[in-house]
Amino acid sequence: MTAAVTSLLVGLVLGYLGQRSRMCFVGGIRDFLLVRDTALLKGLVAFGVTAWVAFPLAAAAAGTPLERTGQADAVTVLLTVAGGFGVGYVSTLANGCPLRQHVLAAQGVKSSLTYLAGFFAGAVVFHLWVAPALFRVLP
Amino acid sequence: MTSYVVSGFSRTSGNQERTRPTAHVTAVHMGVAAGVLAVAAGAFFGVRPPEAYGVCMACHGRDLVNWTINAVVATHLTVAPASLVYPLLTTVGVFVGALAAARRHGEFRWVTPDHPVKTFLYGLLVMNFALVAGGCAIRLALRTAAGEPLGAAGFGAMAAGIVLGTGWLRWRATR
Repeated sequence: MTAAVTSLLVGLVLGYLGQRSRMCFVGGIRDFLLVRDTALLKGLVAFGVTAWVAFPLAAAAAGTPLERTGQADAVTVLLTVAGGFGVGYVSTLANGCPLRQHVLAAQGVKSSLTYLAGFFAGAVVFHLWVAPALFRVLP
Repeated sequence: MTSYVVSGFSRTSGNQERTRPTAHVTAVHMGVAAGVLAVAAGAFFGVRPPEAYGVCMACHGRDLVNWTINAVVATHLTVAPASLVYPLLTTVGVFVGALAAARRHGEFRWVTPDHPVKTFLYGLLVMNFALVAGGCAIRLALRTAAGEPLGAAGFGAMAAGIVLGTGWLRWRATR
């Protein structure tokens, strides 16, 4: 229950700030490459640095150190790289990361609303068909 | 005066009348807030396991959809351990928060800059790629910040994808 309420509140804050700042976690790199605009890129860097500093501090304060994941096997690395590449490439074509698409949809952008429809349908498609197919094909 | 349009979403720079209505919140503010909230949600408020799960639009969206379907038709679609009892509601929060901000600042208006079917497919693809990689753009960055080599590999690949995608957009625009 705590996690659900927390995530709702965190979402509300990030949605509000995201709408005001036009933040996009993909758009930073895109804008820099296209027009050398660093506004969004600074946001991405700020996010990374803040989290990097906050992780050990929060772990010390909460007394629960981050669990180190074990050595990943080659298939997992390959899937992560392929998936990450796909996220970056398609998000660029779609004109924004998933967070930005949520914000745009909430602003009345209808093509972002259909993006979200595809996004949530995609979760079901993944677990019903894509994941089983991957399990069958991969060692 | 430069102005540029990236598939329907226009931002202008240099033309003060049309730009940045009341941009008091910068991307840096948003980045810092997101970093603090994502880490705090995981460390203090039970948004884990898995690790570095504080904010993720794809995984949390998947949790919400699958949890709801499981509850309604008694299926056993995958949800993260953090979403077993109640689903994480980050996606709902972001939508409502952004709606409130847009309404409050008079920025809500219906527009259709792109073909809806095309963007439906983009959404479907991004969700699938994100679930394969284990995170959307935000969580890949978060996993990297948490010092997870696998997350860093995914983030690097995502950056490569953005570079290639931007190259493709530029090529298509100048062709």
